[in-house]
Amino acid sequence: MDKVMSNKKIIALYVLPALLLIMAIVYIPIVLTAYYGLNQWNGIGRMKFIGLDNYAALLTDGTFWKSAWHSLLLAVFSCASLIIYLAVAMVLATRIKGANLFRKIYLIPMLLSSVAIAQLWLRIYHPTNGIVNSVLESIGVANPPAWLSEPKLVLFALFIPILWQYAGFYILIYYAALKNIPASLEEAAKIDGASALQIAWKIKLPLAMEVIKVTVVLAVVGSLKYFDLIYVMTDGGPNGSSEVMASYMYHTAFRAYDFGYGSATGFFLLVICLIVTWVIRKITAAKETIQYS
Amino acid sequence: MFSKKWNVLLLTMCLALFAAGCGKSDSGTGGSASKEGTSASEKVTIKFMHLWPEGVSAGQNKIVNQIINDYQKEHENVTIKQEVLDNEQYKNKLKVLSASNELPDVGVTWAAGFLKPYVEGNLFAPIDDLLGGELKDKFVAGTTEAYAVDDKTYALPLEFNIAPIYYNKAIFKKYNLEVPQTYEQFKGILKTLSDNGVAPIALGNKDRWTGSLWYMYLADRIAGQKTLADAIGGSGSFKDAGLVQAAKEVQSLVDSNAFVKGFNGLSNEEGKAEFLNEKAAMYLMGTWELPNYTTNEEIPKEFRDNVGFFKFPTVEGGKGDINSWVGGPGVGLFVSQNSEVKEEAKAFVQYFVTKWGEQSVTGAGVIPATKVDTSALDLPPLYIDLFNEMNKASSITLFADVQMPANAAETHLNMIQALFGKAVSPEKFSEEHDKAIAKGN
Amino acid sequence: MRSEALSPSVFKSKAGLKIGYGVLYAVLTIVAALQLLPLVWLFLFSLKNNQEVFNLPPLSLPTHFRWENYEKVWSAGNISVYFLNSVWITVAASALTIILGSLTTFAMTRMKWKGSSLALGLFMVAMMIPVHSTLIPLFSIFNKVGLTDNPLSLILSYVAFNMPITIMIMLGFYYALPREVEEAAVMDGCSVNRLFFQIVLPMTSSVIATTGIINMIYNWNEFIFVNTFISSDSHKTLTVGVQNFIGQYTTDWGSIGATLMISILPILVMFLFLSNRIVEGIAAGSVKG
Repeated sequence: MDKVMSNKKIIALYVLPALLLIMAIVYIPIVLTAYYGLNQWNGIGRMKFIGLDNYAALLTDGTFWKSAWHSLLLAVFSCASLIIYLAVAMVLATRIKGANLFRKIYLIPMLLSSVAIAQLWLRIYHPTNGIVNSVLESIGVANPPAWLSEPKLVLFALFIPILWQYAGFYILIYYAALKNIPASLEEAAKIDGASALQIAWKIKLPLAMEVIKVTVVLAVVGSLKYFDLIYVMTDGGPNGSSEVMASYMYHTAFRAYDFGYGSATGFFLLVICLIVTWVIRKITAAKETIQYS
Repeated sequence: MFSKKWNVLLLTMCLALFAAGCGKSDSGTGGSASKEGTSASEKVTIKFMHLWPEGVSAGQNKIVNQIINDYQKEHENVTIKQEVLDNEQYKNKLKVLSASNELPDVGVTWAAGFLKPYVEGNLFAPIDDLLGGELKDKFVAGTTEAYAVDDKTYALPLEFNIAPIYYNKAIFKKYNLEVPQTYEQFKGILKTLSDNGVAPIALGNKDRWTGSLWYMYLADRIAGQKTLADAIGGSGSFKDAGLVQAAKEVQSLVDSNAFVKGFNGLSNEEGKAEFLNEKAAMYLMGTWELPNYTTNEEIPKEFRDNVGFFKFPTVEGGKGDINSWVGGPGVGLFVSQNSEVKEEAKAFVQYFVTKWGEQSVTGAGVIPATKVDTSALDLPPLYIDLFNEMNKASSITLFADVQMPANAAETHLNMIQALFGKAVSPEKFSEEHDKAIAKGN
Repeated sequence: MRSEALSPSVFKSKAGLKIGYGVLYAVLTIVAALQLLPLVWLFLFSLKNNQEVFNLPPLSLPTHFRWENYEKVWSAGNISVYFLNSVWITVAASALTIILGSLTTFAMTRMKWKGSSLALGLFMVAMMIPVHSTLIPLFSIFNKVGLTDNPLSLILSYVAFNMPITIMIMLGFYYALPREVEEAAVMDGCSVNRLFFQIVLPMTSSVIATTGIINMIYNWNEFIFVNTFISSDSHKTLTVGVQNFIGQYTTDWGSIGATLMISILPILVMFLFLSNRIVEGIAAGSVKG
């Protein structure tokens, strides 16, 4: 068994194509980004090597840390929302009537591009004729806030569509994971008199644990480098109150023509992702991989 | 058997990927133009990148295609290859292309601060020889200067814009309002409108340059055109009492609810919609908006007929005069320094600019940077009036974000949004401007 | 058994059971309505002009159904070319990602070799770089090897950038595969290739369908790479059609809505089809497991 399953030639054949591809297409840009970060460069003229100056400046850049904080907040909210998605997937994975239909409908928002979602939510949040404020006014709120221009509210107002946009993605993954659990295990538990809640908690959850861990990492990394809706809906404003790391990177590199600094920001974002992911792995590694026995 | 087949398949895939990654494709998509020499009889391809997609800039797109077709007919050896992107994507792509030194032969650029890094990076070719030739004296005075660095011109402007305040005549009439001459009268209008529950001014300040127009005008009217120019140029300071006063005035407009609700979260499109929907009475915007109030059939005629304009009023005791405008040339055409068909590209630019001037007036309803005789054309009165205003302007201050270097422009725009959102004091606003401008690039 | 999956023991009585189900269905239905809204909205949006888009509340009917938006979109330029490009590039890139991703995940989770955790780490880190940081270096790479303005640049980028997330999702599923199956297979003298293609791949069909859906959606909606790497109209994809209606000073929202409606249909059909595979996959897997 071991001999067959450690055949070097086959391993190389299986892993190398994908590995070489990401080396060429993802890692070279990563390395170059780190290098650009060591330069003063507007992206057009000559590069001037300035060592770690950009990175040092980044450490004391209040705007960057503010945007890092916003990204981190998004990561926390994303992780928290995973619980809801998991619960929904659990309900859908039971064989209640119409589950199949509900599941399909729930995933529809995921099909829309960010452009469409941003346009929809801009209309929902519109200060005078948006759905939210129309409803608030009709129930007697005198002067409902302009959601996307209030510095204190804007970030949370943006979180809602972001979380909503990804709901389908996680529900889909959880659903597939739960469906992947052999039905025989559930049947056996039922015969032993376990309730639905017990089955969910004691059998399904542990078996889906690996997938759950993965989704936590996906949610965190996805949040830390999140860009799309924020860029379209507020462009990081007003006054940077919805700026996140990726939008800050974009603004410095492509708007302010400071490509060196922008690259340093991009690379720093990667480092932050690494640290956070490492911490998550440490925390979740405590539990052993569960195998069917 | 089975296993061998799969191994071979995988290996092939591996190799294919490698070949794709390492092998230089010889399909000939690489270079920026066909490599043949430049003699007139040989085939030449000129790459032309612009930002007038058919869907939304139908007028401009049609003109571009018309000009290209005519040019190709007149020059049978020349093929013009277009690439069209929307504004935002255009700017990004230009950036990426220039980092790899792969600019198109001819492209669209903005003036002053936008153009400077490209000139310093030696990517744009000087085209003064065109200005000395057929195009001599064809441009409206002051337009080509905005594209000059160290006395050499690097692009030829296509449009020229100034920014009036458009207003809704019906709303003004309803509340017995007169076009204001002074800032005091203007504030009176704001008060009347907001007391009657009408939003006085449409503004989408998510885009930031929209709010910048208001600051620029107040600065011009209070501190005077020269003080403002000096402060932006770096020889003066934004701490000048008049300029600080202008920033204060912006905040007092915000306090008096002069702008539509939530303006800092609205894009220019959304802000403008309030004006088009007759929910807001005024809108300060460039003359590129003219077609919407003159010929654009998608907008109801009753509304178009109701739109007038007035000049930004003078401020009592201020140094600015009423014929001083904020505006400037819009986009211009550059020729790439590294183009292999530079001479052909220049000839095309010259042709394009000339034809554009003739056709854009009637075809797109915008004001070209080249001189046109409007007397022979049948044009809407609003267009004529603004056209004449432009010709008697005492000075034209270039849009701040175009004028400043990219980095300082970013600071300026961010500060504008903060100023309108009352997140900075006028003093801090001035301080940050001086800092950004002193820092350069 | 079928409809009793929510075990009766949760609810004390028959009446309680009924109320429980009632509440559950009510909640499910409300959520479903909320999730369907964007599609309805998009449809209405695509039939309005700019004034109506901004002036009327999002879910109101337009005063006059502007089907001409669809006409305009369809006649503006190369929609059919874009469409075909979108289809084949999306399918090719997604299929390649899933095959390569499955192979790699299998080797990393089921086979024994020293570098497996390092390889896994490399794939994970590749997920963490923001797209805009990669544009300039990637363009210069493709430019050097002559792949700019070539659909291959898109396919390679899509495969490379979606590979990490695909592998991550697959990981969880592969970890959970019962080992006995492969042990038995290897005992029977089955080769690794045969084990992978004939036993493991069918068992993972639900994750293949899942990642397939995700990959297709991502590739279908992508536009930054298209705009950056491609310059000829003949190689552009459908997302460019949307941008055709975004201008420097104005944007034609009704037409954008119409393009979005047209572009969502194929992906919706594909989704409904692949979505069923998730269920079928279990059946196939459980027969063999």
